[in-house]
Amino acid sequence: MRWRRSGGRLARLVAVGSVLGPGLVAANAGNDAGGIATYASVGARYGYDLLWMMVLITVSLVVVQEMAARMGAVTGKGLAELIREEFGPRWSLFSTVSVLLANLGICISEFVGIGAALGLAHVPPQASVPVAAVVVWLLVVRGSYTVANRVFVAMTIPFFAYPIAAVLAHPHWSAVGKAIVVPHVHLDAPYLLLFVATAGTTITPFMQLYLQSAVVERGLGPEDVPAERLEVASASLFANLVASFIIIATGATLFVHGHRTVSNAADAARALEPFAGRFAEVLFAIGLLGASMLAAAILPVTAAYVISETFGLEKGIARRPREAPVFVGVITVLIAIGAVVAVIPGVPVIKLLVLVQVVNGALLPVTLFFVWRLSRNRELMGDYRNGRVFDVLAAATVIATSALSLLLLAVTLSGNA
Amino acid sequence: MATTARTTEVLHLSFVAGGMLEDAAGERLGRVDDLIVRLEGEEYPPVSGAVAIVAGRQVFVPLSSIAEIGDGRVRLREQRMDLQRFQRRPGEILLRKDVLDRQVINIDGARLVRANDIELVRIDGLYRVVGVDVSMRGLVRRIIPHSLAGRIGSGDFLDWASIEPFTGHVPSVRLRVPHPKLARLHAAQLADLVEAASHREGEEIIAAVRSDPELEADLFEELEAQHQREFVEDRTDPEIAALLARMEADDAVDLVLELPEERREPVVALLPPVLGRRVRTLLGYDPATAGGLMSPEFLCLYGEATREEVLERVRRSRVGADGAAWIYALTAHKQLRGGAPLAEVVRAADGARLADIVRPVPTLAPDAELEEVAQLMTDYDLTVAPVVGEGGQLLGIVTVDDVLELVLPEGWRRRFNILGGD
Repeated sequence: MRWRRSGGRLARLVAVGSVLGPGLVAANAGNDAGGIATYASVGARYGYDLLWMMVLITVSLVVVQEMAARMGAVTGKGLAELIREEFGPRWSLFSTVSVLLANLGICISEFVGIGAALGLAHVPPQASVPVAAVVVWLLVVRGSYTVANRVFVAMTIPFFAYPIAAVLAHPHWSAVGKAIVVPHVHLDAPYLLLFVATAGTTITPFMQLYLQSAVVERGLGPEDVPAERLEVASASLFANLVASFIIIATGATLFVHGHRTVSNAADAARALEPFAGRFAEVLFAIGLLGASMLAAAILPVTAAYVISETFGLEKGIARRPREAPVFVGVITVLIAIGAVVAVIPGVPVIKLLVLVQVVNGALLPVTLFFVWRLSRNRELMGDYRNGRVFDVLAAATVIATSALSLLLLAVTLSGNA
Repeated sequence: MATTARTTEVLHLSFVAGGMLEDAAGERLGRVDDLIVRLEGEEYPPVSGAVAIVAGRQVFVPLSSIAEIGDGRVRLREQRMDLQRFQRRPGEILLRKDVLDRQVINIDGARLVRANDIELVRIDGLYRVVGVDVSMRGLVRRIIPHSLAGRIGSGDFLDWASIEPFTGHVPSVRLRVPHPKLARLHAAQLADLVEAASHREGEEIIAAVRSDPELEADLFEELEAQHQREFVEDRTDPEIAALLARMEADDAVDLVLELPEERREPVVALLPPVLGRRVRTLLGYDPATAGGLMSPEFLCLYGEATREEVLERVRRSRVGADGAAWIYALTAHKQLRGGAPLAEVVRAADGARLADIVRPVPTLAPDAELEEVAQLMTDYDLTVAPVVGEGGQLLGIVTVDDVLELVLPEGWRRRFNILGGD
């Protein structure tokens, strides 16, 4: 378009926008309704005792996301497309079906989150969820690519609510600092379970799939790798800082006052009210709404990318329905099912979420293994393949994260969850 | 011919690769890994050998020692074989590794398709690649177990004569295989393909048309801004200038604006003097106004010129058909007097003066907004509108195609043909 090209200033703004781009969206979509519930539970039950783990998780997240972004920029292809080309149609179908199921499940939990957030303002979910679904759909399908991206990035702003809520809760900062550096390990099952759940909710397969496809759709090339690396690292750091602040906020209030259980994200928001004032609750609700909306938009898009890449169909959020019918169809179906299931009374949402965890737990090791194998492939990546030290770090990350994920899978299946 | 019966039997690559390698007696020697072809010069490339895994080693099986290629197996002529380690020779393509599951260009539909399977047929003793299966059926056949897969017959497949695979990712080829079939496509179709492909595949398409600089320039004119930038930023200044030199001035300006600011002036300095001057003039205008949209390539003569002089000028000038659609007349003070469609000049009586043929035409100021331009062209049914400076001098013309491009909703402008196909 010609009008975009005129000014140097506008061009620079667009450039900055792309630096703020897909990494931030992916990482922040990881702090979704399920994530918030998990972090809040961690803080409420064990105070700051699990904070040290966030450091490890952040490093792992940076390593994994960097590989995905680098692959997108160097190969110009999405992760699902590369899996199809390098590992054949069976693996490709396996990951596609799992992604579809996992994303559908998470999508439902996002709409539950939206309902819960607006429930704090006394809006019944039967009213708020359908409206939110329509808004999300319009944004993704009818909005232009640039608009959709700007809105996605703007939606991450409410995340600043968490640090503010944490500060308003007056935590003991010296205790917080100590907890980050010195690991406190409890040898009981719930501690282990929360540990694993936190890792699982912070590093989720859709984040790599979305990131790589979004990098491709933006047309980033090998020359953008250093900038994109910086973006991914800072975005992952930012997202996990926010997650840590949720733990600190709940640790400084619920834990200290003996409210050790949080059954969902809205509980966490309500529980902050008596201690940190009405202000904290409103902020918590805004953050939850933004996070859920963002993820509710990202998940269907990721599923659509994956399906289009696997079967070689027309794709891209910049496409209109008529141009990419399957792409838009997948998005529509996921949002519709997510919203409908979230408001139907009597649907066992908790059981569904457990199922989601199982599918994600099975999918993550596979996705990570592919990410690792592909990003160290000389033929594919050339000079941009994993360096020797990085490759060892990556392998360790993949193994550790996969082990945790399989552990969570085993625990969930054995019915302890 | 004895082979006629066999020619009807279609082999799926997915059944051959992964199958058994057996000797003349039917003893299992190893596993078939891939089939080798050379693409150059043949409409239906013949298989020139196979790659097999024997005792954990990748070995080369020359065509001369293959007795038969069939579903699930490759049978050798003799009891034993030389274990010759496989090494790619220049120009060799591995069908499974390099083509299967990847995107290929379907020339007939001018779109990218994914090769779900590759079909081979034995013709006069040679196994030739005859087509690519892009159907869902072809994909399903490869996902379900082999024992069931046999029941799924071959569906429709695309004739290899209209398929062009990408070879840029093949280490021993690296852009060296020409893609002659691409020459059958228009610049606009090629541009659509480049936009739909990954960056590396796009490079390959552009490299393939590079031997025809006119086509390459046309292709770049058709690319969207983001993609123009993507494919031009790796080139040197002289290369970009050579590309621009073959473009219309207004399209050249669009591309110059895609360059980083510090590269624009060096590139423009390398342009041929006339084009360089025009580009510089156009760069001074806001791209969303008449001044930015206009092209400085038009035909104007003094009003005194006769019909014959005008037509002679049309014949000799290098102004494109769009720009020559209207002839403008100037006053003695170089101000715009009026204009007439070329058809009216042709129809005028012999010896008529241009000043008598032309009529006053509505004009645009250089700072007229896009909406105003579109409104004026719609109101007066113009395909070409003149842009006039404050002193009444003719600066350039805006043609309807440049306006349409901006007025159409973005979604409409995308590949009709890529999506319109089967």
